Amino acid sequence: MNKLFSRWLPCATLAAWSAILLHFYFSGRVTAFLIPTFRPYVLSAGCVLAAMALIFLLFPADANCCSTAECGHGLSRLTLGKILTFLVLLLPVTAAAMFSQDSFGKNAILNRGIITDASGLRPPSTNKDTPRTAPDLALPTSDPAAPAPVAATQPPAALQDYLTRTPDGKIVTEVLDLLYAAQDNALRGDFENKAVVLYGQLMPDTANNASGKRFKAVRMFMTCCAADARPVATLVEADTLPKLPEMTWIKVTGIATFPIENGRRISVLKAERVEKTDPPDETMLF
Amino acid sequence: MSWFTFSFDDFAFSFLSVLLEGVPFLLLGALISGLVDVFVSAERMQRMLPKNNAAAIGVSGLLGLIFPMCECGSVIVIRRFLKKGLPLSSAVSYMLAAPIVSPLVALSTFAAFKGQSPWIMTSLRLSLGYLIAIGVGFIVHRLPVAAVLRPDLAGRKRAGLSFSSTPDEQAPPPDFATLAAAASFPKKLLLAVQSATADFLDVAFYLIIGTAAASVFNTAVNQEVILPLATNPLPAILAMMGLAALLAVCSTTDAFIAASFSTFSYASKLAFLLFGPVFDLKLLWLYGILFRRRFVACLAVGLFIVIALVCWRIDSLKLDETRPLAAPAISRTLSPP
Repeated sequence: MNKLFSRWLPCATLAAWSAILLHFYFSGRVTAFLIPTFRPYVLSAGCVLAAMALIFLLFPADANCCSTAECGHGLSRLTLGKILTFLVLLLPVTAAAMFSQDSFGKNAILNRGIITDASGLRPPSTNKDTPRTAPDLALPTSDPAAPAPVAATQPPAALQDYLTRTPDGKIVTEVLDLLYAAQDNALRGDFENKAVVLYGQLMPDTANNASGKRFKAVRMFMTCCAADARPVATLVEADTLPKLPEMTWIKVTGIATFPIENGRRISVLKAERVEKTDPPDETMLF
Repeated sequence: MSWFTFSFDDFAFSFLSVLLEGVPFLLLGALISGLVDVFVSAERMQRMLPKNNAAAIGVSGLLGLIFPMCECGSVIVIRRFLKKGLPLSSAVSYMLAAPIVSPLVALSTFAAFKGQSPWIMTSLRLSLGYLIAIGVGFIVHRLPVAAVLRPDLAGRKRAGLSFSSTPDEQAPPPDFATLAAAASFPKKLLLAVQSATADFLDVAFYLIIGTAAASVFNTAVNQEVILPLATNPLPAILAMMGLAALLAVCSTTDAFIAASFSTFSYASKLAFLLFGPVFDLKLLWLYGILFRRRFVACLAVGLFIVIALVCWRIDSLKLDETRPLAAPAISRTLSPP
């Protein structure tokens, strides 16, 4: 019985954690959980844990965990406590890994509060009086649902450098771009009254919707991991509200506008077309 | 909409994301701990800090600048340092300061508060975080070790790893320090890895429980319930501190969350950034590895009161000239069902 706790269970725990981390990395599931900077750490940790499991397996005589009264686990004095310790180490992580949908549902988004202006987000890095350049704008381009970037038919020279466009010349934009543009004169000029394409999740809007023709296109914006992600949204105005369930991934084609309502400038995308689409590979903005 | 709506999917997503982010750093802390365990003797550890207690506490609070470690990793490293004979007061100072007084935290705070007096926020966060950490260090210095540390640590017993190389399980385990000192280099590396393994499993147990509790609050609690408190200085500060404790976000990223609460005062955001890294739901469990429950409770209450009072005083200085006057950035999108 002692060997079970001193050798096999620690080894199995390390191996299970290693398998979970490596699975998340190689299956691509990690993209929903972490920003790119942190993803290689998952791979490294998975490899190190595998090595540690192997060492624990091959050299059992030197070290034991949970085998004596000196073990640090508070529950290790009793056999039942030892079992409980390893259940805590194994079950929650395994269950979460197996059953997680790898995205937040409506409740979590509503609980966090949807951000509809950029004042509380990372501000644009350029001076408002200075025209923005490609590195400054940092438009997310990782969305595979977006069409491949091509040169517009006759785009303004300043935009040719960095804006991604569809084959018919529409600007492929993200929710954050429009929120920042609402607060940045120079950036607003790049988008205002231009045809744009945007991807997001459908949510109803009750705060700025006197006409009843508005809804929200929501994306999650994370800083490091999904736990710190905040929902950001731009308003979309359409002649008829889409008959799709909430949280459906949609592609909105329309004209970007930035009216002043209730004393502040907001972004409203006048939709010409709203269609259901597949979620992008990078469901999170970062 | 109710203030509490639990969903397992949301919980699992948040729980896993914290673990995926935290486990590599926990592992790094465990590996450092293992290497320290084998390669750094107690005598060398004691030679590394100034002899004068006050200077040692002061220096320990700054170690995060050259030895940055998030709050999860610092607990595991400190536990090993304590076993090696690092003075408790210095260990506590490092543990509380490292998640705040670090280059990573300074940079992230500055970036998050661009447009909201980033120099002031970064300076206040690091300087007050340091002062609070060494303040606690000085208090701990005056307390008996047995009143602070768990008995297994106070007695300098090993934790998380034991030896049974002898066939006779009843025989007392060999002394680790003696074994490590006599071992060849490859053997020392092996011992370090085995020590790290035990440490990792030990702390991961508490990390899982703490992360699970924090993830429930992170996803199930409607964060807009605190918005009405934003207009009153003290309630705003207390609400943001409570939120920091419940969300249990890593100190390298929490500034971006604090900055997004645009209706809250500058001082309440500072309170969020000072309290979260030194005490949250996750740390409540992790501190239990090191300290007696009574000390953990006193630490929580003491830090809460001190940080609240300091930030309340700062609020009266009206540093928040950049406080937005616009409508709240966070808007409810659905009516209650």
